[in-house]
Amino acid sequence: MSQKNSALYILRLALTLLAITAAVAAALAGVNAITAPRIAQANALKTQQAIEAVLPGGGEPLDVFPDETGLVSRVYASDTGYAVEVTPTGFDNTITMMVGVDKSGQVLGIDIISHTETAGLGAVSAAKTTAGEVFRGQFAGCSGEVSVAKDGGSIDAITGATITSRAICSGVNAALACVAGLN
Amino acid sequence: MNFKKQFEEGLLTKNPVTVQLLGMCSVLAITTSLFNGLGMGLSVTIILICSNVLISALRKVIPSQIRIAAYIVIIAGFVTIVDLLLKAYLPDLSESLGVFIPLIVVNCIILGRAEGFASKNGVLASAVDGLCQGIGYTVALVIMCVIRELLGSGTFGGGLLNGGEGIRLLPAQFPAMMMVMPVGGFLTLGFVIAGSQWLMARLDRKNRKNRKGGR
Repeated sequence: MSQKNSALYILRLALTLLAITAAVAAALAGVNAITAPRIAQANALKTQQAIEAVLPGGGEPLDVFPDETGLVSRVYASDTGYAVEVTPTGFDNTITMMVGVDKSGQVLGIDIISHTETAGLGAVSAAKTTAGEVFRGQFAGCSGEVSVAKDGGSIDAITGATITSRAICSGVNAALACVAGLN
Repeated sequence: MNFKKQFEEGLLTKNPVTVQLLGMCSVLAITTSLFNGLGMGLSVTIILICSNVLISALRKVIPSQIRIAAYIVIIAGFVTIVDLLLKAYLPDLSESLGVFIPLIVVNCIILGRAEGFASKNGVLASAVDGLCQGIGYTVALVIMCVIRELLGSGTFGGGLLNGGEGIRLLPAQFPAMMMVMPVGGFLTLGFVIAGSQWLMARLDRKNRKNRKGGR
């Protein structure tokens, strides 16, 4: 068929694809407009819960804070200490986590807000299981600088997920450095 | 349309994992605990049914030269919509399935069935195909999960039973971490494929014998 090679036919193909893409984009825009406020609300709630998990009583956001590592995204302060939101890079992508630090520079606790680590390996760090809680519990009471046992530190890395464990250590270190700068 | 034949094909003779070898990345990556297998299987099944229906309905509108591009756009749009809806209305479920949803876009089962079945068959048959292939995928994933979880972590039902810990079947010092690492995935996949081939050969022989006996 000579028609198949005509400019008109090629134009028709392009326009059909354009129409499909436009329809999908319009559907996405519509769904996004409906869901965006609810997603933002859910995320805000999660952040709030994470702050309260690591800093009893919660805290107020600070406008200015020292951030030499570039990993600190937000700091919440209360009379007893700080909740520092840090975003170290894990095995796959950024890990968003909250680190509670008291005024003397001791870690109160950590909580992982979101991550995309491998299920069954790195994801253990955020899991609500005994293994996850044991791993996160190791950080409580730490001060100065933390690192995994393989690097000469005191933190036992998650088996098969040294990179995730290191990332979380670097997040904790960034939070500790930030609080040291605040004090 | 033949539901029984489609079901048999999805489950065994044309199983997406053990025979068509589609969607290998997700199969190898996530089959480390029972919850992961069920979660990924269920998500894929739902998306597969929906995308099969939509693509089958549009099969006469989409010119064949641009069909792959059109399918990809439709599937990706679809997955993103499901992802957004889950995040907004079922945040807990979204959190537990969060890692799987983006993986579905690149799961070639969806595109494979769009190209291999939905683009040539009616809407209802395509929906049934999506369901059957999805069940076949889920069953294959669950079998791999159970084997790898038992040998790798010594538990059953991880992420689901016993408050997410799974039921411990082997003492903690026995399991080989290797089995939940990639190498264990490849090994298990090989054995599962061998097992399904053996089962098919056996059924085949039985069928032939029955036919002979009948004559």
